[in-house]
Amino acid sequence: MSLLTVERLSKNFRGLAAISDVSFAIAAGSITSIIGPNGAGKSTMFNLITGYLPLTAGEIRFRDKRITGMATNRIAELGIARAFQIARPFRDLTVFENVRVGALFGKAGPRDVAATTRRALELAAIASLADQPASSLTVGQLRHLEVARAIATRADLLLADEPCAGLNPTETAAMIDVLRQVRTNGVTVVLVEHDMPSVMEVSDRVLVLDAGRLIADGAPKVVANDPKVIAAYLGTPDAA
Amino acid sequence: MKLNQTQVFLLVAAAVVVLAAGPLFLPPFYVRVGQLMLYSAGLGLAWAILGGFAGYTSFGHAAFIGVGAFTAGLVEAKLSSLPTVLLLPVGLLAGAACCAILAALIAYPILRLRGTFFAIAMLGVSHVCAEVTNNVDFFQGSMGLNFPPIAPPSMDPANFFYEIYLVAALFILLVSWQIRRSRFGAGLLSIREDEDTARMLGVPTERYKRLAFVVSAVLTGVTGVIYAHSLGYITTDSVYRDDTNLSLIVYSLLGGMGTLFGPVIGAFLLVFITQVILGRLLDFHLFATGLLLVILVLSAPGGIAGLLKRKRAAP
Repeated sequence: MSLLTVERLSKNFRGLAAISDVSFAIAAGSITSIIGPNGAGKSTMFNLITGYLPLTAGEIRFRDKRITGMATNRIAELGIARAFQIARPFRDLTVFENVRVGALFGKAGPRDVAATTRRALELAAIASLADQPASSLTVGQLRHLEVARAIATRADLLLADEPCAGLNPTETAAMIDVLRQVRTNGVTVVLVEHDMPSVMEVSDRVLVLDAGRLIADGAPKVVANDPKVIAAYLGTPDAA
Repeated sequence: MKLNQTQVFLLVAAAVVVLAAGPLFLPPFYVRVGQLMLYSAGLGLAWAILGGFAGYTSFGHAAFIGVGAFTAGLVEAKLSSLPTVLLLPVGLLAGAACCAILAALIAYPILRLRGTFFAIAMLGVSHVCAEVTNNVDFFQGSMGLNFPPIAPPSMDPANFFYEIYLVAALFILLVSWQIRRSRFGAGLLSIREDEDTARMLGVPTERYKRLAFVVSAVLTGVTGVIYAHSLGYITTDSVYRDDTNLSLIVYSLLGGMGTLFGPVIGAFLLVFITQVILGRLLDFHLFATGLLLVILVLSAPGGIAGLLKRKRAAP
């Protein structure tokens, strides 16, 4: 069963087509990666799904409910959470307080807030940082905080925007492990990521956007060998 | 050392008992200073619900002091046959209702602005309210409004209003405390930190901001009603004051922005400095106050509460 369905989605910015007629469905329990060159429309896609930007045409359905035009906080209440590409922590709050905001709001509302917060911290592997001010975290730790805060909302769908960007190989491996744990706990993950080894390792399926259009959709190995994807994004050793 | 909730409660209770007994041993001048401290603390706390918790720095909250005061004055004048004991409660209700309506009406357009734009728009609201009160005869802003004496004959009016201000400040402190520890409070803090992210996490930011604005306006208006009664006679200039608009921000800056007790600490400190320490410097006291504020804000950007927090966190 599809958890999220995107149908003929388009977004124009003053005539510039950021997303053009894109359709796909995300199966519950999967990890799907969206890849593509800079400016392909990946983050715009997340902005449209979360209601942060209004769409120009098309429809988005979550659990078969139309969410097009819905307020961002209402979409979060339905069970869609987002971890930002550039971490946006609540800097004056501690790590625990940051994640607690997610547990207080989001899908399930304020039930078992402390327990939910702790679970999210453990799942994101930052339980030991709970009492630290968010402003004192490293870039890698902030990425984990983004994920913890998002899953504390008890979301069914996590949209993770480049969670591995700027991380070293050890930190990247830790983040991939966290995303796997998140999936194991019943959360469907959609990932925007440039780090191809991570994408290949963690994804069940890969969508490729180029200039706002969906140019490939399939299993990681199939997509990696698709000539259109190689030409538009991955490149060849010769080209390099 | 971090105090637990019981210790904080006991400390506040002890402070309230000492403050309540103040008029018994303080000379009249210090009772007046105490009145001003408690009035300022109440206003600072009310302002901080929007400015400190939600991060919407209003530079025009004197609008609600004025609207509350003039509404109460006009309503009480119409109901002058009421027993004296009922005049203040009726005035408080009328002032609170009018502030709630005004805040609810302007909340939608004005809270779409952020930062400096919101602050300046609120200054505009304050000035528009002042001009309307001053120029529309119905409000009697230029002529002035009299408030009937409400203090019991057996009590010195200064002592009476001191105690009323104490009750009001304590009430606003309790409301702020309840908000701070509630889901609503957590939502407001997240709005202050990053409104877009808060919305992404499911915080109903628009509803929360409006609610905080109305609550803040009502509590400011209520304090304004008491202020008008304590003066006995008000004009537009005595309640719509730009120095009050500025002071409300300074209380939180000085005490600690976004903290529960910050506005109280800031108000007490600033009033004590300006009225007691620098009060005798006549023409120089505003200059000295300004200089002192600059030094304090530069050396303690998180206010007094921030300094204490830093000291506690230091190894």
